[in-house]
Amino acid sequence: MKQLQIPLESAKLENGLGVVVSPDRTAPVVTVGVYYNIGFRLEPRGRSGFAHLFEHMMFQGSEHAGKMMHIKLINSSGGVLNGSTHYDVTNYYEAVPSNALERVLWLEADRMRALKVDDENLRNQRDVVKEEVRVNVLNQPYGGFPWLDLPPIAFRNWPNAHNFYGDFADLDAATLDDVQQFFRTYYAPSNAVLLIIGDVQPEEGFALARRHFGDIHPGPPRPAANVVEGPFEGVRSGEVEEKFGTLPGFAVGYRAPDRRTPDWYSLAMLDQALHGGRAGRVHRRLVLEQQIALDTAGGIHYPVGDLFDYNGPTLIVSRVLHKPEYTSEQALAAYDAVIETVRQQGIDRDELEQVKVKFRSDYVSSLEGGHGGVPRYGLMHYLACFALFDGDPALVNSILGNFLDVSADDVRAAAQKYLDPARRAIVLRLPSKKGAA
Amino acid sequence: MATPVAVDPLAPVPPLGPERPVVWPARLRRKLANGMEVVLVESHGIPKLTGELYFRSGNASAAATAPSLAALTATLVRTGTATRTNRQIEEDLRRIGADLGTSAGADTSAIGFNGLVEFAPQLLELVADLARNASFPAEEFDRERRHLLESVRIERTTPSFLASERMRRVLFGAHPYATIAPTEAQVEAYRLEQLVGYYRAYYRPLNALLIAVGDFSPPAMFEQIERVFGSWTAGDVASSPNPPLPELHGRHVHLVHLPEAVQAQVVLGNHAITRRNPGWLPLALTNSLFGGAFNSRLVMNIREQKGYTYSPHSGVQAFRQHGTFSVQAAVRNEVVAATLTEIFYELDRIRALPVGDDELADARNYLTGVFSLGLATQDGLASQLSTVYLHELPEDYLETYRQRIRSLTAQDVLAAARAHFDSANAQIVVVGDRSRIAEQAALFGDVTEYDAQGSKL
Repeated sequence: MKQLQIPLESAKLENGLGVVVSPDRTAPVVTVGVYYNIGFRLEPRGRSGFAHLFEHMMFQGSEHAGKMMHIKLINSSGGVLNGSTHYDVTNYYEAVPSNALERVLWLEADRMRALKVDDENLRNQRDVVKEEVRVNVLNQPYGGFPWLDLPPIAFRNWPNAHNFYGDFADLDAATLDDVQQFFRTYYAPSNAVLLIIGDVQPEEGFALARRHFGDIHPGPPRPAANVVEGPFEGVRSGEVEEKFGTLPGFAVGYRAPDRRTPDWYSLAMLDQALHGGRAGRVHRRLVLEQQIALDTAGGIHYPVGDLFDYNGPTLIVSRVLHKPEYTSEQALAAYDAVIETVRQQGIDRDELEQVKVKFRSDYVSSLEGGHGGVPRYGLMHYLACFALFDGDPALVNSILGNFLDVSADDVRAAAQKYLDPARRAIVLRLPSKKGAA
Repeated sequence: MATPVAVDPLAPVPPLGPERPVVWPARLRRKLANGMEVVLVESHGIPKLTGELYFRSGNASAAATAPSLAALTATLVRTGTATRTNRQIEEDLRRIGADLGTSAGADTSAIGFNGLVEFAPQLLELVADLARNASFPAEEFDRERRHLLESVRIERTTPSFLASERMRRVLFGAHPYATIAPTEAQVEAYRLEQLVGYYRAYYRPLNALLIAVGDFSPPAMFEQIERVFGSWTAGDVASSPNPPLPELHGRHVHLVHLPEAVQAQVVLGNHAITRRNPGWLPLALTNSLFGGAFNSRLVMNIREQKGYTYSPHSGVQAFRQHGTFSVQAAVRNEVVAATLTEIFYELDRIRALPVGDDELADARNYLTGVFSLGLATQDGLASQLSTVYLHELPEDYLETYRQRIRSLTAQDVLAAARAHFDSANAQIVVVGDRSRIAEQAALFGDVTEYDAQGSKL
């Protein structure tokens, strides 16, 4: 297989802003992203959910573009826009016809320069965010399972272990001062990268970036943060009540190695063998063959992220919903047997070859992949993570080879080292009422 | 990098630059001798192909036998063929880096696929094997039926599902479009022979449309497709007439009681039109500025000004025979009446007053711009092509869409709103805990209450 050759050029402005341009002129559209190197892991203590609430505030008005102007200017230019908060990054992105590129950059620069919001904006978005939490978590079967359930069980250090969507009391406690303080601390050009992808020439992209972002004050260096997490000692377990759904479930998390270490590449192949769709071992064994489970899923940094978009302690997670006639102990024992088999025997060469082809195929799809109608969202996302976490956006082209070099012995070693039944986190999600109403 | 160029802090919003032309790629559109229709488009962004093999029959065609039968048939299609077990199918897919999904909606059944183009022949052979030789193993049927039973149980605890299910019943009455999922008893009553019967009747080349987009040469891909599907024998496909829709007189509230719900799902709906109707584009534009875009009136009102909800939206849905217009929002329990009041205010406003020039221009730009985003990816192209060919729209639909949207006037919007945003006869569905929301809902019409299983309370 020849190496990927996605064209890209990158540079840093004098104020520290990273700029990556990836030209592709097949369609007259361009995707723009601004990624800040801050996510919900590092929101202030006593302010759970704040990083996400803050993301909403970034649409509420900036120095020269008041409330609703961001949304109105992008939509009326024929484009879509959104933002999202992750563990270690927060992004703001637009996809527009390429004749609106400069307008998009002007807007993004305006809100990097100064946020201009008031108490009414904050009250309004606090209400909106609470409805978001209700619709996605509190009023939804299996809401937050396991992305909100596992961290407080698995981790001990507050940045890794708190409620990322936010306790309502903490959301209520957030003030406008908190908003401006967070902005000053983390939303500096030196802590961000700008991505321009699609119908643009690199020199044009860099010139526009300089014109609109070049004079923004570099801002303070990003404060040091302690996200260190000690190794798991023993099994950490807990239970969460399922208010609506009728099936019991469990999720298991094992500590994953640091990104871009040899073990990480090996574990990624093991992950594909275990969780890669219906051919994956967990699904095949528990759902198709033994028929204990009804649904399984999992992955490294699953389910609110993937292999590439985190920069701190995380888990490789399996999530299982099973038939109510099996106890949690029985279902977990069946799952453990799958894990034990791969620890003992590893995977054979044919399976590894299948897994690698699928991994390669998924990787190129995720680069092109849309997300809410945004072309090449995946390419933008990976370029940003490689730029902010690794200082090397070109990894997007070269990293695939490291996965394809993993051997069957490496996979077995990773299974033995990481999928340790004596060191893991388990959460049971148990329905409060049995069967159908 | 060079010294930064100073920017005037009072600089106005940069104007839009000159537009680059939007050029839709050529389609290779041809029929096989057995009647199967093929549409191919090249797109070389990634070394993959993506496609759908559609059959122009879905749950509506199966309604006389059993509700949602096409959906379970589709599920079973991927679980075995004359020469492959379930496990072999899944491993064969993984070996070539492919994803495959089978599904059925009201009007279609589909086998969707994507994979590395270097393995295109194997992928096409596998798709053809499922379409032609599915074996419906009894043990797979038993397992999938149990899965369906458990998933309909969970669906009936999901507010958005309950709201859609009730609204479809209200709008479609005795028509097959009224049903989006079976009851538990209906799932238990399915028999394997019904699935096999459906498959034999409707998975036929005369009923088939294959759309593929990817990093290939269309003529060469067509030859491959002909090799794989050419020997499939035609066979007739029957269709049966459907009953008329219920007439909607006045507003009525349908409350689905979900105990302990901490939020209310509010939906308004009425009948609209199909995509083949000449009024479709005016309706699409009107919907977009009403509640179809982030920048729309509905979102600005009940989200950005009032903070009642996270993701309110309105939508127009086109089936083959009919269409609907709906407005939805998940809101906190205390503001159900306030939300409905605002929605009716916005409906009545857009029906009463012509939109201003700026708002109209913004909405036209939004639709034409977002339409062209579909050009940039294989998935985007495949989705646009599916719309054109499944709904049998004119061959130049993609090329003329932007111009036709740009020619719409404020009078067109007013006429579309008056014709299709039927405020006076809007049907209201609210899903939530009745002790918190019933009194508020009753302000808007007579209330009928249901439990999550659909029984009247």
